[in-house]
Amino acid sequence: MSHPTPQPADTALAAQLQAVIDQHAARPGAMLPLLHAIQAQHGYIPDAAVPMIAEALRHTRAEVHGIISFYHHFRTHPPGRHVIQVCRAEACQAVGARALEAHVKSALGVDYHETTADREFTLEPVYCLGNCACGPSLRVDDEIHGRMDAAGFDRLTAQLSATVVEVK
Amino acid sequence: MMATTIYVPCDTTARSLGADAVAARLTRAAERLGVDIQLKRNGSRGLFWLEPLVEVETATGRVAYGPVAPTDVDALVDAGLFEGRQEHDLALGDIEAHPYLARQQRLTFSRIGLTDPLSLEDYTARQGFAGLKQALALTPQGIVDEVKTSGLRGRGGAAFPTGIKWQTVHDTPAAQKYIVCNADEGDSGTFADRLVMECDPFMLIEGMTIAGLAVGATQGYIYLRSEYPLAQAMLDEAIVRAEAAGYLGDNILDSGHAFHLEVRLGAGAYICGEETSLLESLEGKRGLVRAKPPLPAIEGLFGQPTVVNNVLSLAAVPLFSTRAARPTPTTAWASPAAPWRCSWPATSPVAGWSSWPSAPPCAS
Amino acid sequence: MLQYFEPDASHAAQFARDLGTPARFSETQVALSIDGHSISVPEGTSVLRAAALAGITIPKLCASDNLEAFGSCRLCAVEIEGRRGLPASCTTPVTEGMAVITQNARLAKLRRNVMELYISDHPLDCLTCPANGDCELQDMAGAVGLREVRYGFDGANHLDAETDASNPYFSFDPSKCIVCSRCVRACNEVQGTFALTIEGRGFDSKVAAGQNEPFMDSECVSCGACVQACPTSTLMEKSVIEQGVPEHSVVTTCAYCGVGCSFEAQMKGDQLVRMVPYKGGDANHGHSCVKGRFAFGYATHKDRIKEPMIRDAIDQPWRAVSWEEAIGFAARRLREIQTQYGRESVGGITSSRCTNEETYLVQKLIRAAFGNNNTDTCARVCHSPTGYGLKTTLGESAGTQTFDSVMQADTILVIGANPTDAHPVFASQMKRRLRQGATLIVADPRRIDLLKTPHGGKSLHLPLKPGTNVALVNALAHVVVTEGLEDHDFIARRCEGDAYQQWRAFISEPRNAPEALEAETGVPAAKVREAARAYATAGNGAIYYGLGVTEHSQGSTMVMGIANLAMATGNIGREGVGVNPLRGQNNVQGSCDMGSFPHELPGYQHVADPAVREKFEAVWHTPLDDEPGLRIPNMFDAAIAGTFKALYVQGEDIAQSDPNPARGVGPARAGLPDRAGHLPQRDRQVRPRAAARRHLPREERHLHQRRAPHQPRAQGDAAGGRKGGLGGHPGPGQRPGLPDALHPSVRDHGRDRQPHADLHRGQLRQAGKTRQYPVAVQRRLPRRHADHALAGLPHRQGALRDH
Ligand SMILES: Cc1cc2nc3c(=O)[nH]c(=O)nc-3n(C[C@H](O)[C@H](O)[C@H](O)COP(=O)(O)O)c2cc1C
Ligand code: SF4
Ligand code: SF4
Ligand code: SF4
Ligand code: FES
Ligand code: FES
Repeated sequence: MSHPTPQPADTALAAQLQAVIDQHAARPGAMLPLLHAIQAQHGYIPDAAVPMIAEALRHTRAEVHGIISFYHHFRTHPPGRHVIQVCRAEACQAVGARALEAHVKSALGVDYHETTADREFTLEPVYCLGNCACGPSLRVDDEIHGRMDAAGFDRLTAQLSATVVEVK
Repeated sequence: MMATTIYVPCDTTARSLGADAVAARLTRAAERLGVDIQLKRNGSRGLFWLEPLVEVETATGRVAYGPVAPTDVDALVDAGLFEGRQEHDLALGDIEAHPYLARQQRLTFSRIGLTDPLSLEDYTARQGFAGLKQALALTPQGIVDEVKTSGLRGRGGAAFPTGIKWQTVHDTPAAQKYIVCNADEGDSGTFADRLVMECDPFMLIEGMTIAGLAVGATQGYIYLRSEYPLAQAMLDEAIVRAEAAGYLGDNILDSGHAFHLEVRLGAGAYICGEETSLLESLEGKRGLVRAKPPLPAIEGLFGQPTVVNNVLSLAAVPLFSTRAARPTPTTAWASPAAPWRCSWPATSPVAGWSSWPSAPPCAS
Repeated sequence: MLQYFEPDASHAAQFARDLGTPARFSETQVALSIDGHSISVPEGTSVLRAAALAGITIPKLCASDNLEAFGSCRLCAVEIEGRRGLPASCTTPVTEGMAVITQNARLAKLRRNVMELYISDHPLDCLTCPANGDCELQDMAGAVGLREVRYGFDGANHLDAETDASNPYFSFDPSKCIVCSRCVRACNEVQGTFALTIEGRGFDSKVAAGQNEPFMDSECVSCGACVQACPTSTLMEKSVIEQGVPEHSVVTTCAYCGVGCSFEAQMKGDQLVRMVPYKGGDANHGHSCVKGRFAFGYATHKDRIKEPMIRDAIDQPWRAVSWEEAIGFAARRLREIQTQYGRESVGGITSSRCTNEETYLVQKLIRAAFGNNNTDTCARVCHSPTGYGLKTTLGESAGTQTFDSVMQADTILVIGANPTDAHPVFASQMKRRLRQGATLIVADPRRIDLLKTPHGGKSLHLPLKPGTNVALVNALAHVVVTEGLEDHDFIARRCEGDAYQQWRAFISEPRNAPEALEAETGVPAAKVREAARAYATAGNGAIYYGLGVTEHSQGSTMVMGIANLAMATGNIGREGVGVNPLRGQNNVQGSCDMGSFPHELPGYQHVADPAVREKFEAVWHTPLDDEPGLRIPNMFDAAIAGTFKALYVQGEDIAQSDPNPARGVGPARAGLPDRAGHLPQRDRQVRPRAAARRHLPREERHLHQRRAPHQPRAQGDAAGGRKGGLGGHPGPGQRPGLPDALHPSVRDHGRDRQPHADLHRGQLRQAGKTRQYPVAVQRRLPRRHADHALAGLPHRQGALRDH
């Protein structure tokens, strides 16, 4: 039985995805680099990408789905403007990460894997940023912040939101 | 007058504490005062309780200030930082004489904190690529023998003798072999691998290239955890520069030998630090542990003979071929009794979780 | 009383046990001791399997001997002298001198702890569970002596997971799942569909179809391999849920397709509960497709005839009678007909879905009891070009390999076949080989699913225009001979020199070059060259072809072209190579072997050979006819002509499967038997058929004559109809035995445009053939065969007009 490859409804999205796929498909062990590239482009891995990746890499949809869901770094929903990752690993916990985590959740009003209503921030857990000497650590997009506390976090988010306003 | 060289570390931790802002403010202050400075971003010396640790090159050596918050900069400058004056509370004096550093013998970390991580000039000025040149003069078996004699044991946890692992890959015939660097450093509290990659990436590149020459591998992959964006940027840039300078590529230093290197990102799975899951992940699969046998050295990446070594193991390699720097087998890294990766102390050697080995954190 | 065929008990017992991990084949034997017993096994064997072979059972959950070891449940832990820890025996290969302990207090404790963890997240409803009594989890809990679960059942668990009942044949109840991955691995390794995955990891791991969607929406093809692999009731046949666990079984063969899978029909009393592919089946090794496993409604279908029935005339109702009466009736009427219309007026058709024994008996009935050679088989329709083409070239009308041979092929050339649809279980095996890296070349107008094999190696599609098979195979051969890719050694040893040179000279002509034929075939020359090189230079090149080759206007010619290509490249005569017809039914080969064709006694021995006849006469105690009898189309012609009056049909539905249903059913209506009964002759019904004939294209009407007036005596599609003359006799350049001759006749590019005068002696048969038979097939193709038509029949009317 052959199943028709489901076509993404959004053809512009499909074209973008296809371009990234074509760029990476021939690399040995292309799957992870490809998923990273798609996430870099879109902030997440759209469902529509799955059959396209499967076709390009001679996988099936199930396999691609299994791979994406195995790696917690990959998102399957669009994130907010900024992704905030709070370190939950031991060294940070030893210097107050839990308190920070509680503050972050209440300040943003979201739990892990959720996005604020204004789509500013998506909150995610992370397990060690290699910044253990100066925890609690958190990562905002590609920037890592050390010795973070509630006040520092509030300053940081105020700055990030302010930047957005400026940009507008 | 010659420009004064000012160092502001650029590793993740220094930056996480505002090193970039410190650097920017120093530049602005110099402009304001009309002082000619050369701002260099060095690696971190690992004295994290003192980060951001600003150093000033003086006639008598590098003097330091730390920890410097961005808001301290103006006061420091006013107190004569650009001249290396030591009046301010944050002044630390000659950094090499700092008791924490003074009692260390640094080998793998000998350049770290001193140099601009991406400067080939800095690297070669301090023995960089001497090991590779030495290795190019040896037979593959010769290199393997050197590594065996050094007694180097894997720094990834199991302390397996690196030379023996290489011997297996060397002895397994195959059209394609691989060198895989395990840079998944997942354990909380460990970040020595990160420091190597961010602060002295050429050393890792050199070590992997020598490994390639030793076992006959022409392709290397650094499997790097996605939680280390800065290490990724540093490695990528270092690879580009090394390639451009002929240290990587189809014809390394005109030797006729090829070695290519690529950074591959993990994606947030602790288990992928285990070498067989790492290989699965590199192949693009779910990172499930493979049963051993077969050993990765015999059937590794894409089923081919593969060296899988930790960052520190590979980074230590260039030292072995430079006989002068060669440690005795009693050096810490060769000790099976202390195979575990070093952890760096938290804010100070006494704070936090002092049960972790703290001093010296990393002889290697 | 009916007697079931039971494979010999030790054979069945051998396959009844799950040895834990797949067999390993090695010259080197490794000796070890397990619980003090010495045993020696092939290198690479797991400790778990070695123990099982020694009769020692080690508990296991995630291992099964049709799947590669996975090592996830740790129930199979053992102690090995001199080794630290308790390694999993399924993933630990034996080593020389190894001393293994499988049972002691430490191991018992570990296993109990493992089971305890499993059960702490498993519903405790064994009594009402459909798998009760047929559940490995239950068995293992018993085997390790689980008595309590200290963790309680209140922690986070998966007990509320919802059942997916979307698949019509099985249900998926994730609350029972132990995430052993056997289903995922079965779908990947056994079936090759990769429809399943484990979603997430750690506690969140769960089996998911597709992108976590209902099974029916996923890539799943409902083969049931996952259901069979599941050690719990998570994946469970709906028939078992409804009827309960079966209690006895009978081994049988699936009659749906040409693979011929063996099954255990598992029953409860006389109710069939489920079909489980039999591990001892050489064709399927314990795998099956959806049809064989789940489509067993026929067993109890109301249309099924369970008692003998007879009727005197077509307008009378069937009468159920005793076997005695039915047999007596049939015998009497056959005799009467023969008395009235002559010995030749009756005949029979054997079935390719019956066993060798059954087929043998029917042809014997016809030859020995009816006293004529009017026997033919349904293989006439699908694969007589194979029989003829291979006999002519290789000397035997049989395909050259077993299915398992594909596991040693390096390049697999598939022509006019769609194995994933038509031979699913063999396709699974082929896909396994493709995943191991074999190169695939598909010559077919369709982009068949095989080309999309997940994780397949290199593949090449040659999308030829329908009707250009011969042109393509000639172009491939052209590349072989002009690029120096022939296997000269093989040719020198095994082929007829003169014939070969003749063929070679022809095939080297520029008009056979891929470039010259590009317009004809529609396949870019570069691709043809690439394919030819891949096939000729592979260590082992194997050709598989189907009805896209045979049910075609150049069927026999193409088969000969294929055989020639194989011989020229030395791809004949060992494992991993060969010329392999993919048949339409499960025992086409057997029915041919057993002497179903009108011109050949069992073993392809010609009826005209006195020595052959003598042999059979001595055994059968009766004189035998020395002339080939009627082929199926001749029988119908003769029936219409009024000379053929009775037909004994074994397990075939001629109305469905013969080329011109009108011509088949017509004669049946006209007086030929319909199912097992006999019908009286009713002349009036012949007339409509004669009328129908007039509607046939002029050039086809000769088919209805025993010999077309313009045809030479030696022609005929496949080996011979009696009135067609010598068909089937060894032709020029042909000796019995293995690859002898490259037949010099593969000359026309699919449309016989050459006037007969151009042809060399010895080619007339093919020339005549290509003109004669298949046009009829094409024109009268029943709708259901449309797929096959796509595969290779000329669609374009132009192709017909050329004739
Ligand atoms: C669960 C697990 C996690 C591991 N994580 C790491 C890791 O993050 N980095 C590392 O170098 N080795 C790690 N290892 C060890 C590797 O499997 C392997 O032994 C090592 O990369 C070999 O390199 P070496 O010989 O240079 O030490 C881990 C092992 C296990 C079992
Ligand atoms: S029924 Fe067959 S195809 Fe479907 S999921 Fe199970 S094994 Fe895969
Ligand atoms: S469905 Fe069955 S075979 Fe699949 S993981 Fe669950 S228990 Fe194992
Ligand atoms: S592959 Fe053919 S013989 Fe086997 S189960 Fe399916 S239909 Fe039956
Ligand atoms: S534990 Fe938080 S950064 Fe390492
Ligand atoms: S049977 Fe060996 S680990 Fe499951």
